[in-house]
Amino acid sequence: MTPIPLTPVGGFLGAGKTTLVNHLLATADRRFGVLVNDFGAIAIDAALIAAHDGGVVSLTNGCVCCETGGDLGAGLAQLATRDPPIDHAIVEASGVGDPWRIAQLALVEPGFSLDPIVVVADALNLERQLAGRWVADTVRGQLLAAEIVVLNKIDLAPDPAGARAALASLCPMAPVVETRNAAVAIGRLSFPVSPRPRFRANPASAHAFPVWHYLPARPFDRARLRAVLAALPRSILRVKGFCRLDGDPAASLLQFAAGQWALSPYGEAPPGLVVIGTPEMPAPPDLVARFDFALLEQ
Amino acid sequence: MPSPIQVFVARRFVTMNRSMPYATHVAVRDGRVLGMGGPEIRDAFGPAGFDDRFAGDIVVPGFVEGHGHAADGLMWRNTYAGYFPRTAPDGTRHAGFKSIAEVVAHLRRAEAAMTDLDRPLVAWGFDPIYFGGPRMTRADLDAISTRRLVVVAHVSGHILNVNGAVLERAGFSADSNLDGLVRDEGGQLTGELRGPAVMGRANRVTGDAGLSRLLDVAALRDFSRLTRRVGVTTSTDLANPLPDESVAALRAATAAEDFPLRLVPALRAREYSVPDGIARVAALRRHNTDKLHFGIAKLVVDGSIQGFSARLRWPGYHNGAPNGLWYVAPAELFGIVEAYHRAGIQLHIHTNGDEASELATEAVARANDAFPRAGHRHTLQHCQMADEAIFQRMRAAGMCVNLFANHIYYWGEQHRALTMGPSRADRLDACATALAVGVKLAIHSDTPVTPVDPLFTMWCAVNRITAEGRVLGEHERITAVEALRAVTLGAAYTVNLDHAVGSIDTGKFADFAVLDRDPLEVPSMEIRDIQVRAIVSGGTVFANA
Ligand SMILES: [Zn+2]
Repeated sequence: MTPIPLTPVGGFLGAGKTTLVNHLLATADRRFGVLVNDFGAIAIDAALIAAHDGGVVSLTNGCVCCETGGDLGAGLAQLATRDPPIDHAIVEASGVGDPWRIAQLALVEPGFSLDPIVVVADALNLERQLAGRWVADTVRGQLLAAEIVVLNKIDLAPDPAGARAALASLCPMAPVVETRNAAVAIGRLSFPVSPRPRFRANPASAHAFPVWHYLPARPFDRARLRAVLAALPRSILRVKGFCRLDGDPAASLLQFAAGQWALSPYGEAPPGLVVIGTPEMPAPPDLVARFDFALLEQ
Repeated sequence: MPSPIQVFVARRFVTMNRSMPYATHVAVRDGRVLGMGGPEIRDAFGPAGFDDRFAGDIVVPGFVEGHGHAADGLMWRNTYAGYFPRTAPDGTRHAGFKSIAEVVAHLRRAEAAMTDLDRPLVAWGFDPIYFGGPRMTRADLDAISTRRLVVVAHVSGHILNVNGAVLERAGFSADSNLDGLVRDEGGQLTGELRGPAVMGRANRVTGDAGLSRLLDVAALRDFSRLTRRVGVTTSTDLANPLPDESVAALRAATAAEDFPLRLVPALRAREYSVPDGIARVAALRRHNTDKLHFGIAKLVVDGSIQGFSARLRWPGYHNGAPNGLWYVAPAELFGIVEAYHRAGIQLHIHTNGDEASELATEAVARANDAFPRAGHRHTLQHCQMADEAIFQRMRAAGMCVNLFANHIYYWGEQHRALTMGPSRADRLDACATALAVGVKLAIHSDTPVTPVDPLFTMWCAVNRITAEGRVLGEHERITAVEALRAVTLGAAYTVNLDHAVGSIDTGKFADFAVLDRDPLEVPSMEIRDIQVRAIVSGGTVFANA
């Protein structure tokens, strides 16, 4: 079973998250499963989802009194077992939710592979929100987690320079897609999917994420792999794929994001890791040296 | 022929009724109070039966739990593992477990009594903060069983301890490095799980044995066994998503003659869109009976102080933790509050941190300025850090407060050391300030978060003593009579039932709590030791064994 790509969509109330999800559904080239954790003013268009044989799972606030989103993981598990199976999961955070929390669930919940964390920002109101009495830290926290920013309502903002500057200082590594009506294609919000055998730095597009493939020659030493993963720079966004760990008969599935990783036994799978980063990520010789260091000594 | 009259006699009725604060005789007909006074009441309304079994006792209005959760009736299907004493619905008294070894021994006994190996052993209420150094480990729980799934939930709600079987089933290995997987010095997982992501996964592999299950009739009856033992005759269920199955269970349970509790379920508003939630409350009101009162709705604005998820104003958390979380965006809160306010539905708004209380007050004030409605009684629940200025704004906006007095005892030391620090912790649940400003006051247990027991809650508000014996905020102590009002008529006021319960007065339900001593006369430190001999619900006596 191939892990299902999962796109967390965050952003403050009114930025256009639901509009973005509806746009992705209206232009769908695959079966989307959507998880919503909110009752926004705009509803997810269930008809759009049904038209593509996808699924929608609505969540309400979690458990008795003091916890919210407690059943988000259960909602994901429900999406993972849909029939027909979905090709891609979209999880819309609540307007005050932390998109990183959704990303974490994708690491914890088997069967998903974490695509870029998308945060929708409101070009018209972003500056005001970042200075807001009650919401400034919430909006800032959401943007700090962003791996792609959709700067929406660019047509409505008389002078978007301030919003651009705020994004440049808060999430300098995240590509910014400027748009109106949240009309962004899923391709611009995804990591490259087709295997690319060599390191690719693509200066032509600001939104591309360089990808590098690594073929471990031998099983990894557990302690060394841990040290290597823990020391990866922030410019490496993901490491995912299969590897063997010292002493394990079966392959393990590795998923790494933002300094956290899950290694889970998988059964039979040919080894091979994909490393995805920002254009600033280390050059191939450096990466080879890092990962080779984690191999068992011969 | 009119129904028979029953006259109850007591050493003293403390009525909370301003026209007649004390009485020795109370006449009851059709489950309601006909009149009260001295011996002259005995024949004043015609021939009457005479019930003198409480002649040596003190009788107060039946207590009103203004913030409880009927899910307490579900908790006991799992194993209690808490530090503090607690009584189960069947009357079993747990002394509380004072060390990890005691908890483990208790769980081992519980495991030995289980037959089906596929059933997980789930324990709740674990509270290691008073144990000093050592933490519970996977080895402790593997010693109970390596095959059965074993889960121990902390009372804070933010930590689980699990055994190796759960780690394996959840796919958590020491090779992973996920937030919330706690390790020992050797890098091995200790089985302690923190935060919603890893806890949620563990809960799911064990079948979600927590608070999210729906209430059934048996759970409601168990809840009423807990409440009657402590003198409660009316309780909120704050809050309930109120799907049809739950409504059916509430109607069935409260329809039984021998069900000794009036229930006030609050709609968990965020389970619905705003128009649907408003329509749901309106529809449910048609099912109201003497014992079942729909009509209120609940909103949650922030998290908890001890979980560092409450929203605090400057200077924030004492230990430097980042500010907590909004559970609803401020602008959205304004819209929801205004819509429910305009629809005439009373809101119970959970706010723990002072920034959340300030925001919720602003939301109510704006709604009430735009659409003035006298007597809306929107109530802040917990509201643990409000200062005088917030209470003043609440009063001006016509709001009530239900303060979490039990927190002073159970978490006061943690608030002083970690969350609020000295001095600010002194205004935790500031009952005296609320009363001085003129905000209508209730106090609560939030059961099952802390055990339902209004005499204990009174004791907390009157003495403000922490579990380690420190007085926390001596100037916020209130008098016994103020505290008694807060667990009777005051709480009734916050749920719009002050015309029906909360005091002993003509026309109101004959709901009483029968006590062995007078909470207004015993030394204040003994209020929590007063025994509840019986309750009377609608004129029917339910004696405690
Ligand atoms: Zn509560």
